[in-house]
Amino acid sequence: MTPAETRVEISRVLAVPRERIFAAFASAERVARWLTPSPEISLKVLSYDFRERGTYRFEYHVPDGQVMRVHGMFIELVPPARIVFSWIIEPPDEHAGVDSTVRVSIAAAPGGASLTIEHERLDRPGAAERHAAGWAGAFDQLASQEENRS
Amino acid sequence: MYSQMAMLQTELDRAFRALGDATRRAMLHELAKGKARSAGELGRHFRSAQPTISRHLKVLEGAKLVERSVAGRVHWFRLRPDGLRDATRWLTRHRAFWEGAMAQLEQLLEGS
Repeated sequence: MTPAETRVEISRVLAVPRERIFAAFASAERVARWLTPSPEISLKVLSYDFRERGTYRFEYHVPDGQVMRVHGMFIELVPPARIVFSWIIEPPDEHAGVDSTVRVSIAAAPGGASLTIEHERLDRPGAAERHAAGWAGAFDQLASQEENRS
Repeated sequence: MYSQMAMLQTELDRAFRALGDATRRAMLHELAKGKARSAGELGRHFRSAQPTISRHLKVLEGAKLVERSVAGRVHWFRLRPDGLRDATRWLTRHRAFWEGAMAQLEQLLEGS
């Protein structure tokens, strides 16, 4: 067993100009068509404000009925080269509250453009405590919803 | 259920923080060879001062990546086989996510 890295990095060359790859990220209609781990898992884009400091929220629907929600903020947008956004999964997922950043780099390459996606966890000191507080908050919210219902 | 998840989260954070340092990753590689090593041996191996090594070992122990056993004055350290499981799960999941998304993007862009 070897120690894991704290970052996922995936790269591939696509036979299209950089602008077309950038455009695939630039609207809710476009991302809904591909930004899911498999064709069986559909993405419903709840909000998508594609500009720096704009936010987004995704809802993934798994065939077994499970739903996973993710939200984040666009931190850096440099057409057609670079897109940086935060990625936070919402409760009750096992990885809810983990603060992470996705860096998309689109570079010119022979025959098209290379797309690199780096997804890194941010584990700053105190993050664990903040997450714990986030959990407590989410739990309170859930509890008050339940109370209102009954 | 929620407190369990919060606990898992905290452990995951510790594991990733521990793995964020090159020396500590090298120490884990060394311990991954399987043999228990003493703090002194690790200090000599990495040509580091003992307090530095002790500090790193404490972080790794806190993240449940290594376990310590004390025999007399010697502290022995060994890799915990399940220590990286949770940290690895986050990575595996997100790697699969982006591999899948990239494949779909490729199809969308190149297929049309």
